[in-house]
Amino acid sequence: MSTLADHGDAPEGGWDALVIGTGIGGGTLGRRLAEAGMRVLFLEKGQADARSAENGLSEVALPEARAVRGLWPAPLTATVDGITQRFFAPLGSGPGGSSVFYAATLERPDRHDIDDTPGRPHPTGGWPLGFDTLAPSYAEAARLYRVYGTPDPLSPEVPLPLRAPPPLTAVEARLFDRLQRSGLHPYHAPTGIERIDGCRMCLGRKCPKACKMDGRSAGVEPALATGRARLVTGAEVTRLVMDGDRIAAVEATVDGTSRRFTARRIVLAGGALGSPRVLLRSACEDWPDGVANRSGLVGRNLMFHLNEILAVWPGLDGPPTKAVSFRDLYHRDGQRLGTVQAMGIRASYGEITYYLQRMLEGTRLAPLAPVARLPAALAARLLGSAQILVGLLEDLPYRENRVGADGHIHYTLHDELKARRRVFRRALRQAFRGQRGLLLGIAPDLNWGHPCGTLRFGHDPAHSVLRADGRTHDVENLWVADASFMPTSMGVNPSLTIAAFALHVADGMLGGRK
Amino acid sequence: MRVTPEDGIVVVTGAGSGLGRALAHVFAHKGFAVAGLGRRAEALEETAALCPGFFAVPVDIADAGAVRAAFATLPAPAVLVNNAAIYPRRDLLAETGESWAETVNSNLNGLVNCTLAALGPMVQRGQGRILNVATFADLNPLPGAAAYSVSKGAARIFTRALIADITDRFPGIVVSDWMPGMLATKMGIRDGLDPATAAAWGATLALLRDPSLTGSTFEMDREILPPRGLKNRVKDALLLRRRRPRVLSDL
Ligand SMILES: Cc1cc2nc3c(=O)[nH]c(=O)nc-3n(C[C@H](O)[C@H](O)[C@H](O)COP(=O)(O)OP(=O)(O)OC[C@H]3O[C@@H](n4cnc5c(N)ncnc54)[C@H](O)[C@@H]3O)c2cc1C
Repeated sequence: MSTLADHGDAPEGGWDALVIGTGIGGGTLGRRLAEAGMRVLFLEKGQADARSAENGLSEVALPEARAVRGLWPAPLTATVDGITQRFFAPLGSGPGGSSVFYAATLERPDRHDIDDTPGRPHPTGGWPLGFDTLAPSYAEAARLYRVYGTPDPLSPEVPLPLRAPPPLTAVEARLFDRLQRSGLHPYHAPTGIERIDGCRMCLGRKCPKACKMDGRSAGVEPALATGRARLVTGAEVTRLVMDGDRIAAVEATVDGTSRRFTARRIVLAGGALGSPRVLLRSACEDWPDGVANRSGLVGRNLMFHLNEILAVWPGLDGPPTKAVSFRDLYHRDGQRLGTVQAMGIRASYGEITYYLQRMLEGTRLAPLAPVARLPAALAARLLGSAQILVGLLEDLPYRENRVGADGHIHYTLHDELKARRRVFRRALRQAFRGQRGLLLGIAPDLNWGHPCGTLRFGHDPAHSVLRADGRTHDVENLWVADASFMPTSMGVNPSLTIAAFALHVADGMLGGRK
Repeated sequence: MRVTPEDGIVVVTGAGSGLGRALAHVFAHKGFAVAGLGRRAEALEETAALCPGFFAVPVDIADAGAVRAAFATLPAPAVLVNNAAIYPRRDLLAETGESWAETVNSNLNGLVNCTLAALGPMVQRGQGRILNVATFADLNPLPGAAAYSVSKGAARIFTRALIADITDRFPGIVVSDWMPGMLATKMGIRDGLDPATAAAWGATLALLRDPSLTGSTFEMDREILPPRGLKNRVKDALLLRRRRPRVLSDL
């Protein structure tokens, strides 16, 4: 299991299920299907580097160099509030998708994130699957991802099955203490890491062992270990070939040549930016607006989170922590805000420069940006022992926020979001009053690593792309299992929810087989 | 953090003479299994006679296929010392395309061939040490040393290119350059250093595998720091960070 053998010679037909994309969604679903006895073919656009690779996200520019590192090879083009930018987004492409780079914080959302509850109405009227229906899948996902942590003391729900966390370090204990004294309710963030001997907490970078649990180590690799699954990397699906309301074949470019694969069931799991593109690019005579797009919603309702970055000084020097989370500001004054958690990075020279520059860029002091380097050097020295927290502000769905067939993103920051952001920032400032704490950043900071919502699920085919069980309303043998399914972005990180939904979809597919 | 004989074998190129033979000798006496590459089988046998646990691998490193085949028969290397080089003293007007290519083939392409062959198993393990024996010949090429200066200078660029391609992914593979100094070898000068002295430094450096050594240049037994621009010097001063060259005896 130490290498991901590439099965470029895998047969093109005879599969029970073909899974497009091997992120946390595709990997988890494929594992479930293969373990239940199905023959599964994974087609993954990205490449598999040696399993020992440890790189993080980077600004490496050549697409070929990005591809071997498991990074999304091309820059993203995004028009935000009318201004178009091209940049390398924090997205993965390869076995495990973005999750090989993630920080493994596996939070279950609150009930109001999913259900329409008294006092906390849901903006879409609630997901088609309720909190209680999904609860067993969340629990199962927490087990598969070996999650450790402590329950949120503010939550009335039955906690996730969590493994015992490691004891708090001195810095973490100090941080817990500080937060508690401010009347907050911190808990040990649920984290999907096995913690094998020699674990180096590979947050933000690839883990060379099967220790950090991600779409690769807890998805694709266990699937391949069953002997019933095969993985073809460097296989970009370009088109779904339709026969009426069914997919007849999946066309992919493998090593520069076009090949056709067939399977009884097709699962699209290319991520919230990748999956809608496959559907839109498959437009044909019978499906002029794109496959499974009778609702016109494919690619729409794109959401991210807004990051609010906060530096706090626990008054002790120590390695950056990822252990602390709290939900005291999650829902305030009738508003959906979000969770706050330690980011697991250090306020190093680079980060401080970056944030000082970003702060200046948003102001009339922009010409001073290069000068930020020197204050940053001072800041890094004076303030080097800061721990960085991030507040994730929920983003809500808007039809015109979208990704197109060409991958171009159009996004507008709505006044409603800006207003909630002000509330969130005020709440954060209040929460840290009397502490040494500093809100970094002035301009809204979209979390490009958390795209979701572009193939939302729902009961009504006119207002959603997927059914409650993940199958598309329009195409009989097509399911989706990635971040696209979410009708709302929730106030927590998405991955445990993506994994739980993938398990739910897999169970439905397996049930349907009998 | 030091390489031990349990980590794998040491491969030394150009092990049939001079510095290469002296390096093989040091590694062997530290208990390492040493694979010595070289063109001349007899010369390698002479090295073998001096070194316990040495095996001779006669191969022309300029021949990519032969190098691949030779490495395929070896146990996984923990260390590769790219030492082999030729130094034809030849006026540039006397070079032909062919004679020029011969020097580049050994000094640059040979080093690349051996490095690529060793990287396979090192990447699998995420661990390894590559030490390239280098010179400053490229800075001020001497008359009569064009092919040598160019090929050795290119080899130094190769070290940097290698680091650009692999270090972020495999930080456990430690890559650096070492200038042994002026040696009293056939390639060196008559009243130069005893190769055994230099080899002791080179072997020590090759067995250190702290990732912070990647990209460093050592001359003899001490580090040569790259020049710092003004901006970085100001930053260093503000961060109260002064870089001191490392010395082997402290590591
Ligand atoms: C730095 C960072 C830290 C993060 N930390 C956390 C965290 O702590 N907790 C958390 O919950 N979330 C975190 N996230 C977010 C999380 O990683 C993502 O939300 C999640 O991994 C998305 O999974 P996915 O399955 O939807 O899609 P992806 O991970 O995007 O996977 C999609 C895969 O499909 C492939 N693909 C796309 N198109 C095609 C095609 N046409 N043909 C074939 N293959 C295709 C892609 O190459 C990719 O491998 C983090 C993200 C980043 C960037």
